Amino acid sequence: MSERYNRQIILDGFGERGQQRLSQAKVLVIGAGGLGCPALQYLVAAGIGHVGIADDDTIALSNLHRQILYSTEDVGELKADVAGRKLKAMNPEISMTTHPFRIRRDNILELLKKYDIILDGTDNFESRYLINDACALLAKPLVFAAVSGYEGQLAIFNAGPKEQRTNYRDIFPIPPLPGEIPNCAESGVLGVLPGILGTMAASETIKLISGIGEALLNQLLHYNLLNQAQYIISLSPNSDYEMPATEKDFLNQNNDSSSCELPQDYLEIDAQQLNAMQGNSSVLLIDVRENYEMPALDDGVFSKIPMSGFADFLDSNVEAENIVLICQHGIRSVAAAEALQQKYGATKKIYSLKGGIVKWRNQLNGIL
Amino acid sequence: MKIEIISFGKISEFIENQHLELKDISNIEQLKHHLETTFPLLGTIKYKLALNKQMVQGNPDLSNSDQIAIMPPFSGG
Repeated sequence: MSERYNRQIILDGFGERGQQRLSQAKVLVIGAGGLGCPALQYLVAAGIGHVGIADDDTIALSNLHRQILYSTEDVGELKADVAGRKLKAMNPEISMTTHPFRIRRDNILELLKKYDIILDGTDNFESRYLINDACALLAKPLVFAAVSGYEGQLAIFNAGPKEQRTNYRDIFPIPPLPGEIPNCAESGVLGVLPGILGTMAASETIKLISGIGEALLNQLLHYNLLNQAQYIISLSPNSDYEMPATEKDFLNQNNDSSSCELPQDYLEIDAQQLNAMQGNSSVLLIDVRENYEMPALDDGVFSKIPMSGFADFLDSNVEAENIVLICQHGIRSVAAAEALQQKYGATKKIYSLKGGIVKWRNQLNGIL
Repeated sequence: MKIEIISFGKISEFIENQHLELKDISNIEQLKHHLETTFPLLGTIKYKLALNKQMVQGNPDLSNSDQIAIMPPFSGG
């Protein structure tokens, strides 16, 4: 076996057999971001036979403090392409496939069928529930890693003895509403945290394949970076939620209250549409960011109503027929749009700026 | 009855790790109601409880010196 893997082959308990098992495995990493970058680097370096990289996003400057596969000159390029190129240079002995498209309900099953183990390194609940449901349907082991603030969660689902297998919906049957739990773009993240969790996810994947140690089967590990505390809880199947039993059921699982893909009555608009709406007296433009957030917008044009005080605003009545919500990344503005939609129904038109101020500014600067 | 509360993520911003003296509370459902009344923000987000490091399913009874963990879902990556 290759000299490349010598230092792990000589390990007690791992050996040629462990390496052989890695070389026969096919692992798909979904999300080549803060969690996906380190996971990919260690999986590729360790000699996983076939590695897939699924990500439809492009590299932004604000990604670089934690997404350590990428360089400054890569900003604007597709993550899947750049990751594939750099990982190929690091280990040309394995095979690799890049999937530079967004996973959706209608393409995920075909994609997952090509792999043995799935590693979820995505950054939003919609993708996480979609991946969970698809992995449960196809009985694919799923290595789950996620971060929030200074903490992380790690688990392996759909593995181990059949009657003990759990999935994410056994813990959280129903997805949180948009804005209910802040993500990295909104609440911030220290670069090393997804680095640690992504590396832990890679080590669980390697343990699962090679059979060494005790993988985190049907357990949820909490990690706290601030005090290095770990807290592991045992999971058990929960019969409250009925998973789709067939591919047809999976494809039709939509628009119910248990799905993130709620029918949307508000409209997401782009920067061009926003520019066209400015200056119209029937349009109220609202910046829902907190007062300390930068860049500041012209307060003659945009009313400042931070999310922290939005409940009061919902109690008042607005005259304008059209309301446009704006925030940093277009996530909180969606939550605000939904709340206004619930209040006013069809009597007003509600809009949210897609991608938020960051995307709008990038377009002005001609970066994207 | 005295129990220990350990909270994670966003929930730890409004429920500190603490020991709670409980009166007239004997099971998980009663405890949830008590916690959501004492800490109203808990009622606004999804969370899961673990009892002595076992994820709670159903409505188990509580015993003196039980440890309850309160966890929100994380999505960041």
